[in-house]
Amino acid sequence: MIQLSKNYSLPERQEGFIPIKIVSIGGAGLNALDRIVLDGLERADVVAINTDVQSLASSVAPHKVQLGRSVTRGLGAGGDPELGYQAAVESADEIREALVDARMIFICTGLGGGTGSGAAPYIAQLAREAGSLVVAFATLPFAFEGKRRGAQARDALARFNEIANAVICFENDQMGDMVAPKAGIHQAFATADSMISQSVRSIVNLIQRPGLIRIGFDDLLAALRSRNGRCLFGFGESDSDNRAHDALAQALKNPLMDRGRMLADAARVLVQVAGGPGMTLSEVEILMQELGRHVNEQTQILFGTAVDGRMGDRLSVTIISSLAADEDSIPEQVYRDQSSMPAMPPVWGQSEGGSLKTDIESEPTPVEGSQPAEAIPIDESAPVDTAPPLTAPVLNKPEPRLITPQPKPARMKEEKPSEKNVQAKQEVLQFEPVTRGRFEKSEPTIVEGEDLDVPTYLRKNIKVK
Amino acid sequence: MASSNLMIGLEIGTSKICVVVGEGRPDGAIKILGVGQTPSRGVRKGEIVDFETAMKCVHEAVVDAEQKSDVMIRSVYVAVAGSHLQSFNNRGCVMLPEDRDEIDEQDIEDVKISAREVSIPAQNAFLHSIIQHYHVEGQDGVLNPIGMLGQKLEADFHIIHGVRTRIQNTIRCVKELPLDVEDVVFGALASAQVVLTPHQKDLGALVIDIGGGTSDYILYADGVVKQSGCLAVGGDHITNDISMGLRIPMARAEKLKIEEGSCVLGNCLPGETILLKDDSGFAGKEIERETLNTIIHLRLQENLELLKRRLEEEPFINYLGAGIFITGGCSLLNGIDHLAQEIFEMPAHVAHAQTASGLTSAVENPQFSTAIGLIKYAQAVQTDRPRRRFGRIFGKLFSGMR
Repeated sequence: MIQLSKNYSLPERQEGFIPIKIVSIGGAGLNALDRIVLDGLERADVVAINTDVQSLASSVAPHKVQLGRSVTRGLGAGGDPELGYQAAVESADEIREALVDARMIFICTGLGGGTGSGAAPYIAQLAREAGSLVVAFATLPFAFEGKRRGAQARDALARFNEIANAVICFENDQMGDMVAPKAGIHQAFATADSMISQSVRSIVNLIQRPGLIRIGFDDLLAALRSRNGRCLFGFGESDSDNRAHDALAQALKNPLMDRGRMLADAARVLVQVAGGPGMTLSEVEILMQELGRHVNEQTQILFGTAVDGRMGDRLSVTIISSLAADEDSIPEQVYRDQSSMPAMPPVWGQSEGGSLKTDIESEPTPVEGSQPAEAIPIDESAPVDTAPPLTAPVLNKPEPRLITPQPKPARMKEEKPSEKNVQAKQEVLQFEPVTRGRFEKSEPTIVEGEDLDVPTYLRKNIKVK
Repeated sequence: MASSNLMIGLEIGTSKICVVVGEGRPDGAIKILGVGQTPSRGVRKGEIVDFETAMKCVHEAVVDAEQKSDVMIRSVYVAVAGSHLQSFNNRGCVMLPEDRDEIDEQDIEDVKISAREVSIPAQNAFLHSIIQHYHVEGQDGVLNPIGMLGQKLEADFHIIHGVRTRIQNTIRCVKELPLDVEDVVFGALASAQVVLTPHQKDLGALVIDIGGGTSDYILYADGVVKQSGCLAVGGDHITNDISMGLRIPMARAEKLKIEEGSCVLGNCLPGETILLKDDSGFAGKEIERETLNTIIHLRLQENLELLKRRLEEEPFINYLGAGIFITGGCSLLNGIDHLAQEIFEMPAHVAHAQTASGLTSAVENPQFSTAIGLIKYAQAVQTDRPRRRFGRIFGKLFSGMR
């Protein structure tokens, strides 16, 4: 991949790329960064930031910033977010310098420890002040790492939610599910790293790749709008004969997708299909049709497609969406936001109210004016694309402050907003006229008042698919 | 004399009909000479629903067995199952005449008849009266009272009875071929003969024979049968559940169950799928492994829980020292022993015929437990007494009828 990037010479407008920086903070962030760099990344700069000199030294990132030369003296933050924060404050100038000239900043960090939880939100704030759009990729610690770490991680996530334009949150516990039970623990962590890497790369590609139907940062923000919620992310790539199907299946298999089931409840789904020059319209049609089965009718699909010579025979699908948080502590606005969504076309209506609120917040506002004008001038479909930065602040509504981030999204299914739930259940209802299948003509087996010839899962009302 | 040692077991099962030809050795061991089998048609839940078709299938299986074992089959022991079979424990009592105090064989017959003097539904007939213990003059736990002195002889029997006409249907199906029916045996009772060792029967053991159409169970404690019965739920139900749940044809569902099925949950990767191949070899439907396993798990869990509730109606389930032995075709499902262990909270094993030699492929297949058990049963009956002991009345009943 890296080599490819050096000698490719397609007639693409190289200068048209949005300057993107990927900043990773803390030990987990650095691990993820190494993975991103090793996996190959074009059109973005990487910056490694940590308190721990040793781990910085071993990082492959070309640009490194050491935090808190005097506060931590080259050691780690020792799991103390306060210390991490102080270290970041001390090195604020260096950080600003490192972040300069980036239109978009992706922050990768593992929450729960000292540097990740303490310094990262502060760095995100510096980035916003510098006029960049900030997308945070954060991992939450494994449950076995302890409650204290979990609590620190949630606090930090709440701060991220306030500061960053978008937060994509990975739960390590879920990553664990991806890994075969017998696999080593390093593999579990490596899976988490490669998940982050994959999502960072696909989002960078999503934004940088010149598209036939282009997806801009505005679309991304729109897809991630229901904040504090669960981020759904899926990426699949295939070069088989049936690549459209395979790539989609792979994308839906992603643990953050819950096998596509979650999509049924999403208000907005961003889909980008990218492929080489050989990608056909029918392939895209098939793919979107298949995807259509997973989403609700009212779901707004933000569709983008791109042809990239370097893709060769491969076809890739990126799906990004989000669900409202499932915790009861969520203010109803979030629900309202989601459920009312399908009815009213775009979101911009709400953005007015939102941006008013954001004005109160000090950091992001100054950015707003300048940002949209230069951020996306590259693309042809300007009118839509210029909107995003304006809408970005909407996400920063102060409400998240109330919220302790949702710990267990998996439970979502049982108690998601009512209407959608009903919709999902209707499929089961088809069965309702009770059938006994093969035993239709034989003597019924009735034990304890139940007709045992009817499948157990039907009688117990357990949804199997 | 060699031919008289030949015994043939016939099981008319819901999914397959199998005929096992075995030979009894003087030392009590049995040797399997050949196994004939055909897929079963016309049988549902252990009972014949299409007489003609079932008869054809039985004929095919018998011919198959004759060819494989090079034995001419004239008479068979037949296993029966079906939800109509019921059982209970009852005590019979006889008083010896004043002028005699030595118990003889006639008294044993009398006490058995006395034990059967209970009301069973009019259409029902006795299938087995299995002796548990004798009591002579209040002395408990007598195994063989013949020759003992006493005025009062009591005996506990485990009695299995079922609807007469339904049992007759099975017998008629065999007799039409024509073959002689030596005896009719409750399936689980036959299975237990080969699955359990005498030691395990003493310790207390539960045999669950989950076949295609029924789940038969028999519980031993203190070396004797304490509880038995039949629940008309089996592997067919699992297949049917899969077929309906995944919307695939029965034949495909059956294959999927056998090849991929497991009742262990959470053992597969999230999103792991099984690709169903079309008949033409094209990639067909993708099925999530977890979905398949959930369907199987729910059914088996329910089935075993029902059995447990039935067994708990009497206290014997607490006396199982050896644990649970699962046999029959469904016992081949991955993880069934763990599931049973979880539900019954005692050790559970998948078991096949233990005490037979010969065709090992047949002996070690739990699908043949019942048919092989029939041979063991036949041997026990033949050597125990010169003539059959169990089911004697039945034999008379039906030979008189035809």
